[in-house]
Amino acid sequence: MRKDSLRQAVPAFVVAALILVLSLVAIRYMGQESFVRTTLSGLTLGALYFMVAAGLTIIFGLMDVLNFAHGAMFMMGAYIGWQFYTNPTFLFGLLPLILAFICTLSTTSLWIPITTKWNVPEAWQARLRNLLILLGLALMVLGFLKLDILSLAKTALVAAMNIGNPLAEASPQEPLSMFWWRPVLVGLGGLVLAIASSRPGDKTQIIRTEKRWQEWAKFGALAVLTVVAVIVRESGPIAVLTMNENLRFVLALIVGAGAGAGLGAVVEVSLIRPLYARPFYIVLVTLGIGYVLREVVQLLWTPVAYAMSRPPAFSQPGKAENLMAWFSGQNVTVDILGVTFPSYRLFIILLGILMLIALAILMRYSRLGMIIRAGVQDRNMVEALGINVRRVFSIVFSLGIGLAALGGIGAAPFIPVQPNMGDAYQLQGFIVVVIGGMGSYGGAAIGALLLGMARAFGDFIALKFSLSPAIAEASTVIIMVIVLLVRPSGLFGKKD
Amino acid sequence: MEPILVLDSIHTFIGQFHILEGVSLEVPLGSITVLLGRNGAGKTTTLKSILGLTPPRHGKAIFDTQEIQGKRAYDIANLGIGYVPEHRAIFRNLSVLENLKIAEKNRGDLERKSEFIFNLFPDLKRLYRLPGNHLSGGQQQMLAVARALVADNKLLLIDEPSEGLAPILIEQMMEAIKELSKTTTILLVEQNFIMASQLGQFYYIIDDGKTVERGLMPDLVNNEELIKRYLGVGISAGGGEN
Repeated sequence: MRKDSLRQAVPAFVVAALILVLSLVAIRYMGQESFVRTTLSGLTLGALYFMVAAGLTIIFGLMDVLNFAHGAMFMMGAYIGWQFYTNPTFLFGLLPLILAFICTLSTTSLWIPITTKWNVPEAWQARLRNLLILLGLALMVLGFLKLDILSLAKTALVAAMNIGNPLAEASPQEPLSMFWWRPVLVGLGGLVLAIASSRPGDKTQIIRTEKRWQEWAKFGALAVLTVVAVIVRESGPIAVLTMNENLRFVLALIVGAGAGAGLGAVVEVSLIRPLYARPFYIVLVTLGIGYVLREVVQLLWTPVAYAMSRPPAFSQPGKAENLMAWFSGQNVTVDILGVTFPSYRLFIILLGILMLIALAILMRYSRLGMIIRAGVQDRNMVEALGINVRRVFSIVFSLGIGLAALGGIGAAPFIPVQPNMGDAYQLQGFIVVVIGGMGSYGGAAIGALLLGMARAFGDFIALKFSLSPAIAEASTVIIMVIVLLVRPSGLFGKKD
Repeated sequence: MEPILVLDSIHTFIGQFHILEGVSLEVPLGSITVLLGRNGAGKTTTLKSILGLTPPRHGKAIFDTQEIQGKRAYDIANLGIGYVPEHRAIFRNLSVLENLKIAEKNRGDLERKSEFIFNLFPDLKRLYRLPGNHLSGGQQQMLAVARALVADNKLLLIDEPSEGLAPILIEQMMEAIKELSKTTTILLVEQNFIMASQLGQFYYIIDDGKTVERGLMPDLVNNEELIKRYLGVGISAGGGEN
């Protein structure tokens, strides 16, 4: 019995020993300063890789979906978070429409008891559904018609040049007297779609009556939120831009991650869910989503690379002598063991570690985590216990994309914000997942660490011996090959 | 006795293969009904079709006065059906406690039922914190049954509980199933004919995806011709090992 758990820990020991030996060798030849600098760079990269790989691996582990849009989702998180941080007018203008849509769409289960009573001949049920869907989409298009999203997004361009006084760019919007019919139209569209998805006339559905008040409460809460969003449409951006910038940055992290999670949920429900029986199509769909997102971003924000400014906590001039001094000085660089290192990169490392801890707690101690671990092994049995696995899929997909988006906005002050910013990270993320073992978030953490270090030390070696920097990139693939030769299912892989 | 479950000529396809070609049966409330048949006859697929894991393409399934064919598996399970799959499919990377906890359909189910469960399978109490893959085969099988007892299920579908168990454990499993049948209805798939004949009150024989014979268990035990034709075992051999 004990042997078994020991055997599972072997890869961790091997990796730890390997890192220890390599470190000793490296310190000997590199000297302490370059060693510490390279290690910290490796940790930063590793944290970024982990943020991408964590979502990839739990999505693949549970759902067998290889999400090729993960890098694009990382990028979306960066764009939305950055937009919120620099000039949230665009987001506040869009929010009432999105909320109105979700609000009315959520009434599906309230419609079921009514629409199932309609007498629709069986042959007409599918046609009626399609007609309703078309009508709903048409209403929504009407709601968005001539909404000046494009120019709203471009205010970001100007705002990026006006960092000193972003308020100057909190641009005016449509007056309320013109705007109100947009959420109404979009809401109506959502309502029609809700009726369509309640499958009118289909009498074989189970009608639940016990938790009706919860559905009404949900609807009511969303309706109130929608109205609030309409009201704060103009005051909101100003309030955000005048608040403490560090607080605004934290909010931007939350907004970016939340937007990613929402996007993930929408993508799973609308595009991936119908295709679970055809795994190959899912690969194509996610690839396609990636392309579409990059194009949409180019359309909205033009194909320019933006630099997101660091929050003030990481941008005061000067160098902190140590971490404690940084707390009071909030300097742009910190002295760590004699190395001057950007403080924001330390924040990225911290963010990666926090993400790992949060994920570990979720997977080990929550009911959702329990269901995910069980589902990785045997989805059908989980379903046979009365658990709606489809909904768990949506939650997990949304969670995974949320993590990637959080990684994106976390990385934004460190790498340029541009449409293909996530692609390289997605590739490394896949390699990390393969090394760590499909479905294991702990494996993803170890794999990310390994890859980050390999990249950083590879770069150092390339520089030192004037070799091509490509050897750093190649090193990650070589590590993958070695791991796969020794353990074909990855370091901690449970699946084959 | 009125039936709690009725299958009316269900047809199930797996991929392009026509596995069930008309299975009809009635499970009387409070009974133990046994499904018999050779390997590959369609017994397991029948259970999976009831649950909607392999949804039937034609035919009707009625559980507790509701039509359930074509519904999602979790919806069907939530109507009050517990499932003990073959090959003791417990969750190996979850602890014993978690394996039971995950089966809760309402908060507190496990707390209410734990005494009943541990009376039935005292071993499990000792193993509470161990991961599922550290249990022996017999313990895993008990856990798989226990998992189906956590929620208040009206019907249990049990697939080959004796498979690969040592004789002493088979005894214990039989006792447990007898005990369970006092409070719930059981539809049992069992290759071990001795166990099946001692537990069951009613039997159905499935052959080539069709229900071909039905009746009271005592009548079957005395009908050697039927047993030879459809089950292909001498009673004394003690049932089919796969």
